[in-house]
Amino acid sequence: MIINMIIINKILDFSAINAFTTSVAIVGYVIVFLVLLLLTLVYNLIPKIIAFNVRRRRKKQGKCDDCEIADTEGDVTAAITMALYMHLNEIHDEDSNGITIRRVSKQYSPWSSKIYATNPFVRI
Amino acid sequence: MKRLLTVFGIIAIIAAISMVFPKTAFTDTQKDTTELSQPAPVAIDGAQNDAEAATGGLKKFFEYTGFANVTSGHLIMLVVGLIFIYLAIRYDYEPLLLIPIGVGILIGNIPFMLDAGLQLGIYESGSVMNYLYFGVTAGIYPPIIFLGIGAMTDFSSLISNPKLMLLGAAAQLGVFATFLGALILGFHPAEAGAIGIIGGADGPTAIFLSSKLANGVNILSDGTTVKNLIGPIAIAAYSYMALVPVIQPPIMRLLITKKERVIKMKSPRAVSKLEKILFPIIGLLFTAYISPSSLPLLGMLFFGNLLKESGVTKRLADTARTSLIDIVTIVLGLTVGASTQADIFLTSESILIFVLGAASFMIATAGGLLFAKVMNLFLSEENKINPLVGAAGVSAVPDSARVVHVEGLKANPNNHLLMHAMAPNVAGVIGSAVAAGILLSYLL
Repeated sequence: MIINMIIINKILDFSAINAFTTSVAIVGYVIVFLVLLLLTLVYNLIPKIIAFNVRRRRKKQGKCDDCEIADTEGDVTAAITMALYMHLNEIHDEDSNGITIRRVSKQYSPWSSKIYATNPFVRI
Repeated sequence: MKRLLTVFGIIAIIAAISMVFPKTAFTDTQKDTTELSQPAPVAIDGAQNDAEAATGGLKKFFEYTGFANVTSGHLIMLVVGLIFIYLAIRYDYEPLLLIPIGVGILIGNIPFMLDAGLQLGIYESGSVMNYLYFGVTAGIYPPIIFLGIGAMTDFSSLISNPKLMLLGAAAQLGVFATFLGALILGFHPAEAGAIGIIGGADGPTAIFLSSKLANGVNILSDGTTVKNLIGPIAIAAYSYMALVPVIQPPIMRLLITKKERVIKMKSPRAVSKLEKILFPIIGLLFTAYISPSSLPLLGMLFFGNLLKESGVTKRLADTARTSLIDIVTIVLGLTVGASTQADIFLTSESILIFVLGAASFMIATAGGLLFAKVMNLFLSEENKINPLVGAAGVSAVPDSARVVHVEGLKANPNNHLLMHAMAPNVAGVIGSAVAAGILLSYLL
């Protein structure tokens, strides 16, 4: 036990935790938090400012008096965008819907000739 | 579990070998260079003299080879380098980093006559490796890497749900707790700060800060020179980043209940182009004004992001996120690997740094997870967050987000958390860079 204490005291130097180092740790962590908290608040505010500006502009243009700007989910927007893109570029399936086999102009072929399929030697 | 045991078993064996064998075990083969710089006996005449000259030349050649100069330290580092290459190829652990670092370790630990003036070693002025290493010691490479990261990162998930940014701050607990831990273990505050940043789980940030605080050049207040810990810190940071899939899941399962793990989060809203353009500009101004020391990193991060989002600098953004970052990653990985020269790397401090680094990662993960739980106490039912995403607050982009996604899928196969986890993940990059800036301004 005593040996353990000696080892711990020799390896672990608790005197290094003084007012300066503690303040570095605590103040440092608090500043990191504050910076990101500030950014959180700012980025929360930005969409509201943008929405306010859009509403004001539309009101000026007389498009609507009480416009509500809806927050569309990203995947919904992606689906709408994809549909519009495909519609505008007309790259969706467009075919004749004809699924019949087209007749070939050359109808005779030795491969389809009936004469080759018959046996010339008739059994009596 | 098997992987975990393999990896830590290997680390433990290496640590044990380095303890058992003193690093100078084979150094008796090294000869005094002044003796070697003498010209070999010149044969004047006669066959006997010719034979002696030939033997002398051969002996001298042998003394210059790696076989004559090898030490146990070189062999240990050779094994470490091979393990890095093995982990990268076999388990796909961060191969883009571990392969250059692994090869760098092999290159940096090729034994040669140190005092022969061959200008080969990374610490020998005038050598090619030394010139390349200048980018590390001067802190040039990390900001360029950040430029590339900025140009390739989509911050939409963060912009759409800014409150997740706080998780990136919470996870920096690991940085400051490890800073205190390193102090208790006898490191100088500047060295402790550099070690603590391993918890930021960001390789470039760790290299940047250690190149400023623990570079082997700065003179400390007591007149001594600070230790050169760039190699061990960088290796520890990148190793633990590669081991994120091994380290984080047990902590997640320990701290997050099954009920919490199945929480489904609201889909992120669509973000307008204007918001995306404003994000880097506002982020740069706010972070740089509060913590100017983090400017080299965050300035480049936000600059790269503006190149991407502005939509008019596609060529520059493409270069930053492809060729430029690739070139710097190659050089950075190689030189950081080569900086682990056995005589500098194999010390008891390195082992302590590895232990502290592991603790730092675990504390950071726990910090993010617990803070997410606390946040849930204040959020309405429909806005609740899945606490697993807190683990992505350590940066390690995008590995920790991927781990969160996989753990979320295990709890509920229909719950896709990747995009939600990317928000604290990129916030972690910003948070760790801010933490590095604060430590730099306090401790330099």
